[in-house]
Amino acid sequence: MKVAIIAANGNMFDAYKVFNIATAAAATDAEVGIFFTFEGLNLIHKDAHKQLPLPSGKEHFQEGFQKANVPPVEELLDMAKDMNVKMIGCQMTMDVMSLEQDQFVEGIEVGGAATFLSYAEDADVTLAF
Amino acid sequence: MEVNVNHVLDAKGLACPMPIVKTKKEIDQIEPGQVIEIQATDQGSTADLKAWAENTGHQYLGTKEEGDVLKHYVRKSSEEDTTETKHQDVLELENLKDRLEGDEQITILDVREPAEYAFGHIPGSINIPLGELEDRSEELNQDDDIHVICRTGNRSDLAAQKLSGKGFSSVKNVVPGMKDWDGPVNQNH
Repeated sequence: MKVAIIAANGNMFDAYKVFNIATAAAATDAEVGIFFTFEGLNLIHKDAHKQLPLPSGKEHFQEGFQKANVPPVEELLDMAKDMNVKMIGCQMTMDVMSLEQDQFVEGIEVGGAATFLSYAEDADVTLAF
Repeated sequence: MEVNVNHVLDAKGLACPMPIVKTKKEIDQIEPGQVIEIQATDQGSTADLKAWAENTGHQYLGTKEEGDVLKHYVRKSSEEDTTETKHQDVLELENLKDRLEGDEQITILDVREPAEYAFGHIPGSINIPLGELEDRSEELNQDDDIHVICRTGNRSDLAAQKLSGKGFSSVKNVVPGMKDWDGPVNQNH
Protein backbone atom coordinates (compact mmCIF):
# COMPACT_ATOMS: atom_id res chain seq x y z
CA MET A 1 0.00 0.00 0.00
CA LYS A 2 1.21 3.51 -0.79
CA VAL A 3 -0.25 6.54 0.99
CA ALA A 4 0.13 10.18 -0.08
CA ILE A 5 -0.92 12.94 2.32
CA ILE A 6 -1.10 16.70 1.92
CA ALA A 7 -0.83 18.66 5.18
CA ALA A 8 -1.97 22.22 4.53
CA ASN A 9 -3.07 23.36 7.98
CA GLY A 10 -1.14 24.01 11.13
CA ASN A 11 -3.09 23.65 14.34
CA MET A 12 -2.91 20.79 16.80
CA PHE A 13 -5.97 19.00 15.42
CA ASP A 14 -4.39 19.04 11.98
CA ALA A 15 -1.17 17.58 13.35
CA TYR A 16 -3.00 14.61 14.87
CA LYS A 17 -5.04 13.97 11.74
CA VAL A 18 -1.88 13.87 9.66
CA PHE A 19 0.48 12.00 11.98
CA ASN A 20 -2.04 9.46 13.29
CA ILE A 21 -2.93 8.31 9.79
CA ALA A 22 0.70 8.44 8.70
CA THR A 23 2.07 6.38 11.60
CA ALA A 24 -0.80 3.88 11.48
CA ALA A 25 -0.19 3.41 7.75
CA ALA A 26 3.55 3.04 8.25
CA ALA A 27 2.89 0.46 10.96
CA THR A 28 0.80 -1.43 8.41
CA ASP A 29 3.86 -1.67 6.16
CA ALA A 30 2.61 1.06 3.84
CA GLU A 31 4.95 3.46 2.07
CA VAL A 32 3.94 6.90 3.35
CA GLY A 33 4.75 10.38 2.06
CA ILE A 34 3.53 13.75 3.37
CA PHE A 35 3.68 17.04 1.51
CA PHE A 36 3.69 19.97 3.97
CA THR A 37 2.45 23.19 2.46
CA PHE A 38 1.28 26.59 3.74
CA GLU A 39 0.42 26.36 7.44
CA GLY A 40 1.09 22.64 7.32
CA LEU A 41 4.78 23.58 7.51
CA ASN A 42 4.20 24.28 11.22
CA LEU A 43 3.95 20.53 11.76
CA ILE A 44 7.61 20.04 10.84
CA HIS A 45 9.02 23.39 11.96
CA LYS A 46 11.70 22.80 14.63
CA ASP A 47 10.00 24.95 17.26
CA ALA A 48 6.43 25.38 16.06
CA HIS A 49 5.54 21.67 16.06
CA LYS A 50 6.16 21.51 19.83
CA GLN A 51 3.65 24.25 20.62
CA LEU A 52 0.89 24.00 18.08
CA PRO A 53 -2.25 25.95 19.02
CA LEU A 54 -5.67 24.41 19.37
CA PRO A 55 -8.22 25.87 16.94
CA SER A 56 -9.77 29.04 18.36
CA GLY A 57 -12.80 28.29 20.47
CA LYS A 58 -11.61 24.69 21.00
CA GLU A 59 -9.02 25.39 23.69
CA HIS A 60 -11.07 23.47 26.24
CA PHE A 61 -10.13 20.21 24.49
CA GLN A 62 -6.62 20.50 25.95
CA GLU A 63 -7.77 18.59 28.99
CA GLY A 64 -9.33 15.88 26.83
CA PHE A 65 -6.03 15.26 25.07
CA GLN A 66 -4.37 14.67 28.42
CA LYS A 67 -7.19 12.54 29.75
CA ALA A 68 -7.13 10.29 26.67
CA ASN A 69 -3.35 10.05 27.03
CA VAL A 70 -2.80 11.17 23.45
CA PRO A 71 0.94 11.21 22.73
CA PRO A 72 2.53 14.65 22.14
CA VAL A 73 2.90 15.73 18.50
CA GLU A 74 6.69 15.54 18.95
CA GLU A 75 6.47 11.86 19.74
CA LEU A 76 4.32 11.09 16.72
CA LEU A 77 6.64 13.06 14.46
CA ASP A 78 9.66 11.14 15.79
CA MET A 79 7.82 7.90 15.27
CA ALA A 80 6.90 8.83 11.71
CA LYS A 81 10.56 9.59 10.97
CA ASP A 82 11.58 6.39 12.67
CA MET A 83 9.27 4.41 10.37
CA ASN A 84 10.68 6.09 7.27
CA VAL A 85 7.72 8.31 6.46
CA LYS A 86 8.87 10.56 3.63
CA MET A 87 8.33 14.25 4.44
CA ILE A 88 8.47 16.93 1.79
CA GLY A 89 8.39 20.63 2.65
CA CYS A 90 6.89 22.90 0.00
CA GLN A 91 9.62 25.11 -1.50
CA MET A 92 7.24 27.79 -2.72
CA THR A 93 5.61 28.26 0.71
CA MET A 94 9.02 28.36 2.35
CA ASP A 95 10.05 31.13 -0.03
CA VAL A 96 6.86 33.09 0.63
CA MET A 97 7.33 32.79 4.38
CA SER A 98 11.11 33.35 4.25
CA LEU A 99 11.87 30.00 5.85
CA GLU A 100 15.05 27.98 5.31
CA GLN A 101 15.45 24.23 5.44
CA ASP A 102 17.57 24.42 8.60
CA GLN A 103 14.56 25.77 10.50
CA PHE A 104 12.83 22.42 10.03
CA VAL A 105 13.31 19.08 11.73
CA GLU A 106 16.07 16.80 10.43
CA GLY A 107 15.42 14.44 7.61
CA ILE A 108 12.89 16.34 5.54
CA GLU A 109 13.18 16.93 1.81
CA VAL A 110 12.24 20.12 0.07
CA GLY A 111 10.39 20.09 -3.21
CA GLY A 112 7.64 21.56 -5.30
CA ALA A 113 4.22 20.45 -6.44
CA ALA A 114 5.70 18.23 -9.13
CA THR A 115 7.76 16.37 -6.52
CA PHE A 116 4.62 15.48 -4.63
CA LEU A 117 2.68 14.61 -7.77
CA SER A 118 5.36 12.26 -8.95
CA TYR A 119 5.31 10.55 -5.54
CA ALA A 120 1.48 10.43 -5.40
CA GLU A 121 0.96 9.28 -8.97
CA ASP A 122 0.69 5.60 -8.06
CA ALA A 123 -0.60 5.99 -4.49
CA ASP A 124 -3.47 3.78 -3.32
CA VAL A 125 -4.70 6.31 -0.78
CA THR A 126 -4.48 10.09 -1.14
CA LEU A 127 -5.57 12.39 1.67
CA ALA A 128 -5.55 16.13 2.25
CA PHE A 129 -5.81 17.75 5.65
CA MET B 1 -8.30 -19.99 31.46
CA GLU B 2 -5.08 -18.19 30.71
CA VAL B 3 -4.04 -18.12 27.07
CA ASN B 4 -0.44 -19.18 26.56
CA VAL B 5 1.57 -16.77 24.44
CA ASN B 6 5.18 -16.15 23.48
CA HIS B 7 5.17 -12.39 24.11
CA VAL B 8 3.10 -9.86 26.00
CA LEU B 9 2.91 -6.22 24.95
CA ASP B 10 1.59 -3.70 27.46
CA ALA B 11 -0.19 -0.95 25.51
CA LYS B 12 -2.55 -0.07 28.33
CA GLY B 13 -3.42 3.62 28.61
CA LEU B 14 -2.21 4.37 25.11
CA ALA B 15 -4.42 6.12 22.58
CA CYS B 16 -4.70 5.48 18.85
CA PRO B 17 -2.48 4.95 16.89
CA MET B 18 0.00 3.80 19.56
CA PRO B 19 -1.35 0.26 20.13
CA ILE B 20 -0.89 -0.46 16.42
CA VAL B 21 2.49 1.23 16.19
CA LYS B 22 3.77 -0.65 19.27
CA THR B 23 2.38 -3.94 17.98
CA LYS B 24 4.17 -3.44 14.69
CA LYS B 25 7.48 -2.82 16.49
CA GLU B 26 7.02 -5.80 18.78
CA ILE B 27 6.00 -8.22 16.06
CA ASP B 28 9.13 -7.38 14.09
CA GLN B 29 11.12 -8.82 17.02
CA ILE B 30 9.41 -12.20 17.28
CA GLU B 31 9.66 -15.39 15.24
CA PRO B 32 7.14 -16.28 12.51
CA GLY B 33 4.36 -18.44 13.95
CA GLN B 34 4.72 -17.05 17.47
CA VAL B 35 1.80 -15.51 19.31
CA ILE B 36 1.72 -12.09 20.94
CA GLU B 37 -0.78 -10.81 23.48
CA ILE B 38 -1.49 -7.08 23.22
CA GLN B 39 -3.01 -5.53 26.33
CA ALA B 40 -4.86 -2.32 25.58
CA THR B 41 -7.47 -0.03 27.08
CA ASP B 42 -8.21 1.84 23.84
CA GLN B 43 -11.72 0.67 22.92
CA GLY B 44 -10.99 1.18 19.24
CA SER B 45 -8.06 -1.21 19.36
CA THR B 46 -10.13 -4.33 18.61
CA ALA B 47 -11.33 -3.08 15.24
CA ASP B 48 -7.93 -1.54 14.54
CA LEU B 49 -5.96 -4.68 15.28
CA LYS B 50 -8.27 -6.83 13.17
CA ALA B 51 -7.88 -4.47 10.21
CA TRP B 52 -4.16 -4.14 10.79
CA ALA B 53 -3.67 -7.91 10.89
CA GLU B 54 -5.64 -8.34 7.70
CA ASN B 55 -3.55 -5.76 5.89
CA THR B 56 -0.21 -7.04 7.12
CA GLY B 57 -0.98 -10.75 6.68
CA HIS B 58 -0.74 -11.62 10.36
CA GLN B 59 -3.38 -13.81 11.96
CA TYR B 60 -5.81 -12.15 14.38
CA LEU B 61 -6.92 -14.87 16.80
CA GLY B 62 -9.33 -13.07 19.06
CA THR B 63 -9.83 -10.74 21.98
CA LYS B 64 -10.89 -11.28 25.53
CA GLU B 65 -11.99 -8.64 27.97
CA GLU B 66 -10.78 -8.53 31.53
CA GLY B 67 -12.33 -5.58 33.30
CA ASP B 68 -11.18 -2.47 31.45
CA VAL B 69 -8.36 -4.29 29.69
CA LEU B 70 -8.69 -5.80 26.24
CA LYS B 71 -6.33 -8.65 25.51
CA HIS B 72 -5.81 -9.17 21.81
CA TYR B 73 -4.06 -12.23 20.37
CA VAL B 74 -2.16 -12.12 17.10
CA ARG B 75 0.03 -14.79 15.51
CA LYS B 76 2.90 -13.59 13.35
CA SER B 77 2.55 -14.74 9.75
CA SER B 78 4.72 -17.58 8.52
CA GLU B 79 5.33 -19.14 5.13
CA GLU B 80 3.01 -22.03 5.90
CA ASP B 81 0.40 -21.31 3.23
CA THR B 82 2.78 -22.01 0.38
CA THR B 83 4.32 -25.31 1.41
CA GLU B 84 3.06 -28.52 -0.16
CA THR B 85 2.28 -31.49 2.02
CA LYS B 86 4.52 -34.53 2.21
CA HIS B 87 2.72 -36.93 4.55
CA GLN B 88 0.99 -39.53 2.33
CA ASP B 89 -2.09 -40.28 4.39
CA VAL B 90 -4.35 -37.27 3.93
CA LEU B 91 -7.98 -36.78 4.91
CA GLU B 92 -10.28 -34.04 3.64
CA LEU B 93 -12.02 -31.86 6.21
CA GLU B 94 -15.44 -33.04 4.99
CA ASN B 95 -14.51 -36.65 5.63
CA LEU B 96 -13.37 -35.80 9.12
CA LYS B 97 -16.77 -34.28 9.75
CA ASP B 98 -18.47 -37.47 8.57
CA ARG B 99 -16.28 -39.56 10.84
CA LEU B 100 -17.07 -37.35 13.82
CA GLU B 101 -20.77 -37.73 13.15
CA GLY B 102 -20.37 -41.51 13.02
CA ASP B 103 -19.59 -43.70 16.01
CA GLU B 104 -15.93 -44.29 15.24
CA GLN B 105 -13.42 -43.78 18.04
CA ILE B 106 -11.01 -41.25 16.60
CA THR B 107 -8.41 -38.96 18.10
CA ILE B 108 -8.04 -35.41 16.82
CA LEU B 109 -4.69 -33.82 17.53
CA ASP B 110 -4.62 -30.03 17.05
CA VAL B 111 -1.01 -28.86 16.65
CA ARG B 112 -1.64 -25.11 16.56
CA GLU B 113 -0.45 -22.72 19.27
CA PRO B 114 -2.48 -22.75 22.50
CA ALA B 115 -3.86 -19.27 21.79
CA GLU B 116 -5.18 -20.36 18.40
CA TYR B 117 -6.71 -23.44 19.99
CA ALA B 118 -8.27 -21.36 22.77
CA PHE B 119 -10.25 -19.21 20.33
CA GLY B 120 -11.83 -22.15 18.51
CA HIS B 121 -11.17 -25.89 18.21
CA ILE B 122 -13.04 -29.07 17.39
CA PRO B 123 -14.76 -30.38 20.53
CA GLY B 124 -12.76 -33.23 22.04
CA SER B 125 -9.55 -32.43 20.17
CA ILE B 126 -6.23 -32.57 22.01
CA ASN B 127 -3.85 -29.61 21.79
CA ILE B 128 -0.11 -30.23 21.50
CA PRO B 129 1.62 -27.42 19.56
CA LEU B 130 3.98 -28.63 16.83
CA GLY B 131 6.98 -27.26 18.71
CA GLU B 132 6.20 -29.41 21.77
CA LEU B 133 5.29 -32.62 19.95
CA GLU B 134 8.79 -34.06 20.17
CA ASP B 135 8.67 -34.00 23.97
CA ARG B 136 5.00 -34.76 24.46
CA SER B 137 4.23 -37.52 21.97
CA GLU B 138 3.99 -40.07 24.79
CA GLU B 139 0.75 -38.35 25.82
CA LEU B 140 -0.75 -40.06 22.76
CA ASN B 141 -1.52 -43.72 22.24
CA GLN B 142 0.57 -45.26 19.44
CA ASP B 143 -2.28 -47.48 18.25
CA ASP B 144 -4.99 -44.81 18.12
CA ASP B 145 -6.46 -43.56 14.89
CA ILE B 146 -4.90 -40.07 15.00
CA HIS B 147 -6.15 -37.18 12.87
CA VAL B 148 -3.75 -34.26 12.92
CA ILE B 149 -5.05 -30.78 12.19
CA CYS B 150 -3.71 -27.20 12.20
CA ARG B 151 -4.86 -24.04 10.44
CA THR B 152 -3.83 -24.73 6.86
CA GLY B 153 -2.45 -28.28 6.71
CA ASN B 154 1.24 -27.46 6.89
CA ARG B 155 2.10 -27.77 10.55
CA SER B 156 -0.14 -30.84 10.73
CA ASP B 157 1.82 -32.33 7.83
CA LEU B 158 5.08 -31.96 9.75
CA ALA B 159 3.45 -33.33 12.89
CA ALA B 160 2.03 -36.34 11.00
CA GLN B 161 5.46 -37.13 9.57
CA LYS B 162 6.99 -36.87 13.02
CA LEU B 163 4.46 -39.22 14.61
CA SER B 164 4.77 -41.78 11.80
CA GLY B 165 8.52 -41.65 12.25
CA LYS B 166 8.04 -42.45 15.93
CA GLY B 167 6.08 -45.57 15.07
CA PHE B 168 2.49 -44.40 15.35
CA SER B 169 0.47 -46.81 13.20
CA SER B 170 -2.43 -44.71 11.90
CA VAL B 171 -1.79 -41.01 11.38
CA LYS B 172 -3.77 -38.84 9.00
CA ASN B 173 -3.15 -35.22 8.03
CA VAL B 174 -6.47 -33.37 7.84
CA VAL B 175 -6.52 -30.78 5.06
CA PRO B 176 -6.82 -27.92 4.62
CA GLY B 177 -7.45 -27.26 8.31
CA MET B 178 -9.28 -25.12 10.85
CA LYS B 179 -9.38 -22.08 8.57
CA ASP B 180 -12.11 -23.83 6.57
CA TRP B 181 -13.78 -25.77 9.40
CA ASP B 182 -17.51 -25.02 9.57
CA GLY B 183 -18.47 -27.70 12.10
CA PRO B 184 -18.91 -27.24 15.84
CA VAL B 185 -16.17 -25.46 17.81
CA ASN B 186 -15.37 -25.06 21.47
CA GLN B 187 -13.60 -22.12 23.04
CA ASN B 188 -11.67 -22.08 26.27
CA HIS B 189 -10.48 -18.66 27.21
